[in-house]
Amino acid sequence: MSSVLAVNNLRHRYGAVEALAGVSLSIQEGEFVALLGPNGAGKTTLVRSIVGLIKPTSGTVTVAGGDPAKAIVRRRLGVVQQDVGFPRTLTVAEVVEGAAARAGGDPATAQRALDEMGLDEVRKRRASDLSGGQQQRLQLAMGLVGDPALLVLDEPTVGLDVSARRAFWLTLAERRRGGTGILLTTHIVEEAAAVADRVVVLDGGRVVAEGTPDELRRLLPGRRISARTRVPVEAIRAVDDVVSASAEADRMVITAIHAEPVVRVLLDLDRDLRDLEVATPSLDEVLSELTTDRERVAA
Amino acid sequence: MTGQMMKLEVRDELLAMRREPATLFFSVLMPVLFFAMFIGLFGPEGATDASIIAPYGTFAVLAVVMLSPGIGLADARDRGWLRVKRVSGIPLSMTLLAKVIAAVPYAVAVLLAITVVAVFVGGMTVDVGTLLRVFVVLVLGAMPFALFSLAVGALAGTTASAAILNAILMPMVILSGLWFPHEIMPEWVVSIGEFMPTYHLAQLAMVQVEGGAWLGHLAVLGLTAVVGATVAALTYRSARP
Ligand SMILES: Nc1ncnc2c1ncn2[C@@H]1O[C@H](COP(=O)(O)OP(=O)(O)O)[C@@H](O)[C@H]1O
Ligand SMILES: [Mg+2]
Repeated sequence: MSSVLAVNNLRHRYGAVEALAGVSLSIQEGEFVALLGPNGAGKTTLVRSIVGLIKPTSGTVTVAGGDPAKAIVRRRLGVVQQDVGFPRTLTVAEVVEGAAARAGGDPATAQRALDEMGLDEVRKRRASDLSGGQQQRLQLAMGLVGDPALLVLDEPTVGLDVSARRAFWLTLAERRRGGTGILLTTHIVEEAAAVADRVVVLDGGRVVAEGTPDELRRLLPGRRISARTRVPVEAIRAVDDVVSASAEADRMVITAIHAEPVVRVLLDLDRDLRDLEVATPSLDEVLSELTTDRERVAA
Repeated sequence: MTGQMMKLEVRDELLAMRREPATLFFSVLMPVLFFAMFIGLFGPEGATDASIIAPYGTFAVLAVVMLSPGIGLADARDRGWLRVKRVSGIPLSMTLLAKVIAAVPYAVAVLLAITVVAVFVGGMTVDVGTLLRVFVVLVLGAMPFALFSLAVGALAGTTASAAILNAILMPMVILSGLWFPHEIMPEWVVSIGEFMPTYHLAQLAMVQVEGGAWLGHLAVLGLTAVVGATVAALTYRSARP
């Protein structure tokens, strides 16, 4: 297998803001990587560096063996960007057919991309008149006609309805089987975990965690315990297995490696304890734990 | 490959101009109507050759070549369409060149329309060779101005670009005597006007009709091209993609 994306110690500054503080990342042929992170984590900046729109302050990006600053290398990419738009002087079909012609493909590839993205019924409409979700699919349709080595998708599911989303995942799965590498950014954890081979968590311009969705779940303590109690938070923090504990009014939320010792202590100290719940954290919670931890460290 | 891509870029730009009625109205129809009005009001003042159309034709060509590429570029940037094009592997230089090339047929169209008005309203006699030379000089000579247009469009938003470009073009046009001849203007206007590159473009067109020295005018346009290319290169580097 060969690598379709290699990002090496990438840094990017916007004036005083260091949006990327040394990111390394690689994607193999046919590999699906989800890039997770809260708003401001640097996802879009990383995407813009990968697709050659911004020049990194330092570090390197190699796409399909070349430098994405070169137009000819960018032709190997399919990209869905945030905050882009289309002219009101071209129709949907003209946009996709133009992309197909530029990619050297025949018009049939344009038709296939329009069908795949469910855009055939709006083919005669002016591209600027499409809804946000349709414009996102139009971007992907443009990217698909060239049989890209790498798809780079920045929050592509925002604005897609349920059926469009389904068609979208099916298309990605099919392209990935064909060997296309995929980098998809999102802040919706479960959707990424469901489809990605590997999840990379970005926060504050750094990779804070990386692994398969299962590995990420295992990264964090297994149990989340909550209850209404008057037990002081300090008493619970002192318990060995407890990773963190917080209380608001009479409601306490505890994260622990094992639930049983904590529950035992809680019940010993407070016989009036109510609403005891023990749960396995979702990946979403794992992510927010990972990213807020770092903030606490930085603060 | 490159040729095919360039063709597609030009096609997109031509469609953009054709499908944007405002472009046609402001850059073709309005200048022609104004010309008809001028010539109806002031008459051809004795001349029956292409000198009737040279000064105003300079303005009309510049109104197309200096406004539409820059405003179009600003619009593509504002919409985020330029970023879509760039990541899809179209070199920026190709997009910019296509915007200028697409303006050329409109520049020629407006010159033809003015010629027709000059013939039928102003009684101009047609000398094909002279007209051809005037057209070529005006269209080629307007190219350096397209560089400034793109530079403004690379930095400012759509509305601001339109305002800035008009604010640059219109005073130059008036001062250079393209709307009202220098003969009826105060001395100070004339002496300022002679510094304007637009004045030298009009003079270079006039030389095609009346003869005379042309090297100085050509040198000013060459200088304009060099300055324009430098400004453009600097702005594209600093422009937000
Ligand atoms: N053009 C810009 N100029 C200045 N700061 C920026 C710019 N774009 C992004 N930033 C800053 O860089 C950081 C990362 O932003 P971004 O890459 O958009 O994150 P994400 O896509 O994960 O939300 C943020 O702090 C953001 O405010
Ligand atoms: Mg973003």
